[in-house]
Amino acid sequence: MAVVTSKPRTPPTAWQRFKSGNLSDTQLGFLLLTPALLTLALVMFYPIANVLWRSLHFERLNQPQRGTPFIGLEHFREMLWGREMTWDAVNQWPLRLLALLVIGIILWLAVKGNLKRSHAAYWTLTLLAFAFLLGFHPGEEGRWNDRRFWNSFQITWLIIIVSVSGAFLVGLPLALMANIKSRWRWLARIALLVPWVMPRVFVGIVFAWMFNSTQGVINDLLSRVGITGPLWLSREIPAIVVVNLTIIWTTSSFVALILLAGLQSIDESLLEAAHGDGANPWQRFWHIILPLLRPAIAVALIFRTLTAFQTFDIPYALTNGGPGRTLEVLGIYIQRTTSSLDLGYAAALSVMLFLMSLGVTIIYLRWIYRDD
Amino acid sequence: MTTSGTLNKQSFWGKVFTSLGLLLLCVNGFFPLLWMILTSFKPESELIRTPLTYLPASPTIQNYLEVFRSLPFHRFLWNSAVVSISATLLCVLFAALAGYALGRLNLPGRRFILTLIVMTSMFPAIVLLVPLYRLFLGGLEVPILGSIVSFLHDVGLFFLPERIISPNLLNTYPALIIPYIALSLPIATLILTSFFQLIPKDLESAALVDGTSKVGALFRIIAPLSAPGIVTAAIIVFVNSWNEFLLAVTFNTTLSMRTVPVGITLYQGEYAFPWHVISAAITLGMIPLLVLILVFQKRIISGLAAGGVKG
Repeated sequence: MAVVTSKPRTPPTAWQRFKSGNLSDTQLGFLLLTPALLTLALVMFYPIANVLWRSLHFERLNQPQRGTPFIGLEHFREMLWGREMTWDAVNQWPLRLLALLVIGIILWLAVKGNLKRSHAAYWTLTLLAFAFLLGFHPGEEGRWNDRRFWNSFQITWLIIIVSVSGAFLVGLPLALMANIKSRWRWLARIALLVPWVMPRVFVGIVFAWMFNSTQGVINDLLSRVGITGPLWLSREIPAIVVVNLTIIWTTSSFVALILLAGLQSIDESLLEAAHGDGANPWQRFWHIILPLLRPAIAVALIFRTLTAFQTFDIPYALTNGGPGRTLEVLGIYIQRTTSSLDLGYAAALSVMLFLMSLGVTIIYLRWIYRDD
Repeated sequence: MTTSGTLNKQSFWGKVFTSLGLLLLCVNGFFPLLWMILTSFKPESELIRTPLTYLPASPTIQNYLEVFRSLPFHRFLWNSAVVSISATLLCVLFAALAGYALGRLNLPGRRFILTLIVMTSMFPAIVLLVPLYRLFLGGLEVPILGSIVSFLHDVGLFFLPERIISPNLLNTYPALIIPYIALSLPIATLILTSFFQLIPKDLESAALVDGTSKVGALFRIIAPLSAPGIVTAAIIVFVNSWNEFLLAVTFNTTLSMRTVPVGITLYQGEYAFPWHVISAAITLGMIPLLVLILVFQKRIISGLAAGGVKG
C-alpha cells in the first residue's frame, strides 16, 4: 500500500468555482434553477402546505379577538355533516354503520389476500354508490350540513362532466375542419385562436349579452324561426345550459388546438395508403386518425378536466353565481368565503377542491400509464 | 395550390363540404366577438328597439368616449400592461434559465425536477387564494423567519421595521406579478426546455472552446437560436397574465389598481347594464390580444403543441 506523502489537493469550494466561472454542471444547473424553484416554492408549494395547516384552524379576520385556535377537522365536519350533529334514530345512522362495516370487511379481505385488489376497489365503489342511493347522502337534510357546499359541489361536478365531454364533442370536429388543406387555413387558425385568447370574463359578459332575454341575439334568432326563447339567465335550468354552452365555446377551441397539433403530426402517407386500400373517410377516421390521436386526446382531457375544477370567471361574469345560488360553483364559494374574511373555512373548502382534483389527476395518470 | 396526393383531389361535394366546415368554424369563432363589436357602435337607444338591428343603424363612437369618461379605463389598461409585461419578462427569464439547466446540462434528476415543475400547473389557482391573500396582507406571517425577526425586535437588535420583511402587498403590482410568474412558469419551462433540446450540441461546444462560459453560451448562442420558442412562451405567458381574473379581483381592490378584466366588470351597476359601454370596453380590451394572434398565429399553435403534447 502506497503511503500518501504529499498533502491531498483540496478540490476548490463551490464559491471558488463560482468566482472563476467554472462550476460543474450540477452546481450551475441548480443555480440556474433557483429563481424558478424559489418562485414556485413561494407561490405554489408554500400555499399548498399553508392551506392544509390553515384548514385545521379557526381564523376569521373580522373576529380577531377569537384568535386562531386549532380546531382539528371541525371545518370538514361542519362542511359535510353540519354544525349540530344529532344522533337521531331516524337519520339512517344504522345504515351508514352497516355500510362502513361491510366496507371494512371488504378491505380486511383484500389486505389478507383473499380478494384481488381490483375486485376490492370495485366492490367498495359499488357499495358506496348503493349506500349513497339508500341515504348515505350527506346533502339530504338542510340542517345537517353546509347546504351551500353541497350545492356548489353538485354544480361543479355537473359542469365538469357536461362541459368536458361537450368540449370534446365540439373540439374534435373543429380540429378536423381546421386541418383541411385550403387557401383559408390561416382564417381557420385564427377562428380557433380567438376563443382561446379571449379572457374568460369577457366571454361570460359577451354570452350574457347574447343570451339576454329581451335584447339578446339568440332569442331574436329563435323568434325568427317561431320559438319563444326562455328567460335564459334568470331560470335555473336555462342558466345551467347557458353556462355549459359558454364554457364549451371557449374551451372547445383549446381542445381543438391541441388535437390539431396531434392531427398535423400524423403521417399523410398512412392515410393515402388506407385510401388506396379503399377505406372510406369514416373508416380512415375511426381506424387510423383516432388511435393515432390518443396521446393528444389524453393531454387535452387532463388539462381540460383540471381547469374545469377551477371554473370561476364564466359563472361569475354570466350571473354572478345566480339565479339564487344555482351557479355558485366551488370557486365562487371559496372566493366569497375569502372575501367575507372567514379564512379558516375558505381554506377547508380549498382543501376539498384540491383533494378532488388530486384524485382525478391520480386516476388519469394511472389510466395513461396502464396503457403504456 | 399543389395537389400532391389522391386525398387532395376534391370532388364538387368535397369542396362544398370543405367550405361549409370552414364557414361553420368561422361563425363559431368570430360571431360572439363580432356581435360585441357591432354592439359597441350602436347608440343606447338602438339597443332597446324591439326588432333587433344587426348592423348599427346610426354608428357612433360615443360609447368609446364613455368608456374613458365613466371609469379610469386608461388606468386599467396601464395596470394590465405593467403587470402582464413584467410578469412575462421575468417568467420567460426564469423559464429560460431553468430550461437551459433541464434541457442542456447534465443534471442529476432533471426529469424529476421537470415533472415537479409541470405538476404544479395542476394545482387549482383558487387554492392559492387564501394563503397568498394572508401572505400579501403582511405582518410577518412567515413561519420561522417571522419569529426570528420578532425575537430580534424584542431584544432590540433589529432595526428594520416589520413592513420591510413582510410588507402589505395588496393593491400593488407585485401582488399580481409574483403569482402570475408562478402560474405560467410550468408551461413556459416546458416549451423552452423542448426548444433548447433541439439545438445541436456542436454549436454550443464550439462557443465553449472559444472560451465563452456556459451562461454566456446560453445568452449568446442558445437564446438567439431558440428565439421562436422564446417568443411563443412569451405570448402564452402574456395572454395568461392579461386574462387572469380571480387573483386580480381579490388582491387589488382599489379602483386605481384594477386590471382590464376586473375593470370591465365594474361598468355594470347594481341594476343597470350599460351594454353599449361594456361592449366598447371589451372591444378595446381585446385589441392587444387580437394583434398578438394575428401576427403570431403559427407560433402560438406550435407552442401550444409543444407544451401540450409533450406534457
